[in-house]
Amino acid sequence: MSNVFGIDVSALQAFQQAIEVTSNNVANANTPGYDVESIELATAAAQSTGSIPIGAGVVVDGVQRAYSQAAANQLITSQSSLGQLNALQNYTSQIDNLFGTTAGGLTTALQNYYNGWSAVADNPTSTASRQALLGDATALASNFNTTSTQLNNLNTDVNTRITSDVQQINSISAQISNLNQQIVTSTGSGQAPNALLDQRDLLVSNLSQLAGVTTTSNSDGSINVFVGSGQPLVLDNNSYTLGTIPNQFNASQLDVSSTATGGQSISSAITSGDLGGLLAARTQAIDPAINQLGQIATAVEQSANAQQNLGLNLNGTLGANLFSVGAPIATASAANSDATTATLTISNVQALTSDNYVLAYNAGAYTLTDATTGANIPVTVAGTTVAAASVGLSVALSGTPAAGDQFLLQPTSQAAATIGVALTNPSGLAAAGAIATSAADTNTGSASIGTGTVLNAANPNLLNATTIKFLSPTTYSVNGAGTFAYASGANIALNGWQVQISGTPAVGDTFTVQGNTAGSGDNTNALAAANQATKGILSNGTISVSGAVGSLISGTGAQAQQVNTAQTAQTAVNTQAQSNLQSVTGVNLDEEAANLLQWQQSYQAAAQALSIANSLFSSVLSAVKGQ
Amino acid sequence: MRVTQNMEQTQFLTALNQLESTISSTQNGLSTGLSFTTASQNPVGAGLVSGYNQVLAQSQQYTANGQSAQGSINIEDNALTQVQSQLQTLRSLALEANNATESPADRSAIATQVQQIQGTLLSIANTQDGSGDYIFAGYATQTQPFAASATGATYSGDQGQRLVQIGAGQTVVAADNGDLVFQQIKTGNGTFNVTQGPGNTGSGIIGATTVTNAAGYNGDPYAINFTTPTTYQVVDTATAAVVGGGTYTSGQAIAFAGLSVTLSGAPAALDSFDVTPSTNQSVFTTVQNLANALQQSSTGAASEATLNNSIANAINNIDQALGQVQTVQSSVGARLNTITTQQSVATTQQTQLTQSITTLQGLNYASAITNLDSENTTLSASMQAFTLTQGLSLFKYL
Repeated sequence: MSNVFGIDVSALQAFQQAIEVTSNNVANANTPGYDVESIELATAAAQSTGSIPIGAGVVVDGVQRAYSQAAANQLITSQSSLGQLNALQNYTSQIDNLFGTTAGGLTTALQNYYNGWSAVADNPTSTASRQALLGDATALASNFNTTSTQLNNLNTDVNTRITSDVQQINSISAQISNLNQQIVTSTGSGQAPNALLDQRDLLVSNLSQLAGVTTTSNSDGSINVFVGSGQPLVLDNNSYTLGTIPNQFNASQLDVSSTATGGQSISSAITSGDLGGLLAARTQAIDPAINQLGQIATAVEQSANAQQNLGLNLNGTLGANLFSVGAPIATASAANSDATTATLTISNVQALTSDNYVLAYNAGAYTLTDATTGANIPVTVAGTTVAAASVGLSVALSGTPAAGDQFLLQPTSQAAATIGVALTNPSGLAAAGAIATSAADTNTGSASIGTGTVLNAANPNLLNATTIKFLSPTTYSVNGAGTFAYASGANIALNGWQVQISGTPAVGDTFTVQGNTAGSGDNTNALAAANQATKGILSNGTISVSGAVGSLISGTGAQAQQVNTAQTAQTAVNTQAQSNLQSVTGVNLDEEAANLLQWQQSYQAAAQALSIANSLFSSVLSAVKGQ
Repeated sequence: MRVTQNMEQTQFLTALNQLESTISSTQNGLSTGLSFTTASQNPVGAGLVSGYNQVLAQSQQYTANGQSAQGSINIEDNALTQVQSQLQTLRSLALEANNATESPADRSAIATQVQQIQGTLLSIANTQDGSGDYIFAGYATQTQPFAASATGATYSGDQGQRLVQIGAGQTVVAADNGDLVFQQIKTGNGTFNVTQGPGNTGSGIIGATTVTNAAGYNGDPYAINFTTPTTYQVVDTATAAVVGGGTYTSGQAIAFAGLSVTLSGAPAALDSFDVTPSTNQSVFTTVQNLANALQQSSTGAASEATLNNSIANAINNIDQALGQVQTVQSSVGARLNTITTQQSVATTQQTQLTQSITTLQGLNYASAITNLDSENTTLSASMQAFTLTQGLSLFKYL
């Protein structure tokens, strides 16, 4: 009889605990990382009373949490990818918004600038139109500056976020390592420390949003956490810390380092999570946009200055540079073993690309690598000057570098930020061609002279007057000396200019080529400057400046679109992964309500059984009493 | 699949975010009237629109250039019309002076008028445009091109021709230089010029001069030398070779080396007439020569003949100048036509470009509004569905 009481009490206790577990599930329905728990009941060992064994009631074996390692791993991977895309998308969409459909107003500024030259060509002596052109040039330069500043601000933002991510990762790693210790201790006592496991899983999940991580489990219940391509964050109870170090070439950009690798940069290994997205945004979106903008700024500066130098200003002197830009950057790696410095110059703007290059010196030979494509660029070396004609660059080194030295060449990165207008006086704009040609009125032949072109504006004799006098219809002298054969239409070059005389000259016919110093009404050079709007300047003369701006717009737009699409797709994947995990581990309130009913009824039944046992016992007592 | 309340909540919030972002983008399109405002919404379209806008702005600049060129060309056209009218007046005066009935006093009066015309021509040649630039100075637009001199005028401009871009690869000359208009004028009949020898004592008068055979003319200077009043010799003065000769008959053409010269009157023995290839002579020199000739007093047949020859030569040169001005003026007219044509082409092009841009970037309002409507419907439906499912809970029945 006493066995009945034992069975009933065990049932009441078990069902009470079951109701507690269910209540706990309901209470934690919205707790992040909480895995639904269920009570595990088992039959108590039978106590043999005579020949028939009767069960001794119910025992609570333990509380089990619902968990799926596969679903959890799937979510971790998906979260890392989503984290990467979220961070990247943040920057590509900012660049997209910044550029809009006009590259931040650059297209308009460029049109105004070239049209300004056209207006000067219409009226070369008008100070008003010259002043307007200077205004347009200033607006163009400041447009480059502003856009570049905004892009550089994004890089600063990336640095801030990298630092903050690294701090968070370190903090989470420390917590995981701490939990590892507690879990090892609790697991030793026999019962699964569900709350601790939930907390640790949540931390790993949070960590995966910051950087791609992988975990391995140990038999004692602890886990190891690795970041990137296997750099440890948590090994057993030890945690390693990440840090930030300046990039070896560019101290203004932070890389991620690890104490596990002795403080070396592990940036290249981090390709997912928020951190991966930040690093990718810098190398794939922000820096390329700055470089492309710089390439366009360099093309504008170099072509405008070259044209200015070919013409004469209102004072009758050769035009000075219209634009100025800072020198292209060449930086020695912080890891170089000597102090050799490099000076980069752009030798040919037509061949210039928007990529960065790495110049390395090894075993007595220089190698130049495109930092974006990894392609090897052929170089010609003369002493300590390394020229790469195919990309329009030339590097002068201060001496022979040590073996293993590396230099990063950034031909265009600074141009958009530093471009400015060097000319302040509107009369300094070189609207006129440098030379003027004329035929003497006394000429009796039918030959005529063309307007001529300047080949080398640096020739000191460019503006000197030269007389070409025909000694016969087929020969001529220059400045009264020599006898040169004449062919109609052939080039005659001297003092940095070139002209053509065509037709049949008569003996004594004279033609003069001289500096166009009084030609304030000449617009030859202004016309040429205005025509640069459509002239192929970049990509070996195949793409105009405006064309390059168009490519920049569609290029950054396409990148933003692609990242947006990938992010939307990854969001769906992530929602699915979350659902999969939730489906296993989440709390379904209806289920809990049903369970609650079940346990309640069972509890009531057990109580009823106890009551019946009690009445049975009372019956026996009263029977005994009655005798 | 086992569904938890948490899942429902998360999924609903994700969907809500996406729907609201779509609605915001549609609304942005409706308020800007553009189908895309960032390149990511249509990368290819954004690149194209950027290109179209650039071509459009350039085309508009070409139109503005054309208008500016029209202004300066019209000023030149007016000036050339005035030059023509002055030259016509000059020609009438020369014809009048060439009349034997004119007295030296009359001729002197005409000379004064000629000098006045010279002044008018100079002031036209020094015409300035609205911004103070000399239109006939070539490139040297801030230098006064012509200044009076004893022999006519000196030219301080150059031979530059200012071009204006009125279309892609299309330029027109915005101004002709003074050298071309006023100085590059051939003397005589344009091929050769006949003048009487400085020491002529007879009254031989130069009449019509023509090129009968252009191929036969070698460009050498020739002289018609009278050995007696009735016999002459034609000498190539470059080679000193005698190329012809004969008996002189007044009014009969003398032909040699592909040329024909008609002399009349009574030349004296040892008189000569020089046939030289035409050279350029400034219209101002021509006018000055005429004025100078008219102020010579003529006494006797010989000096009358000299005067007649000078005036006739001046008339030839004036005709050449008129021809030159007319040639320039017709090219000016052609340029104005070119600009007008180009501007109508540009207008069509600009309309097409604007249309292309609108087609690419303009918003289709009908479809945008429909989209907005359907997006709103989806949003409110999903909100309603969420409220409904959230209302379902077993706990309600406990």
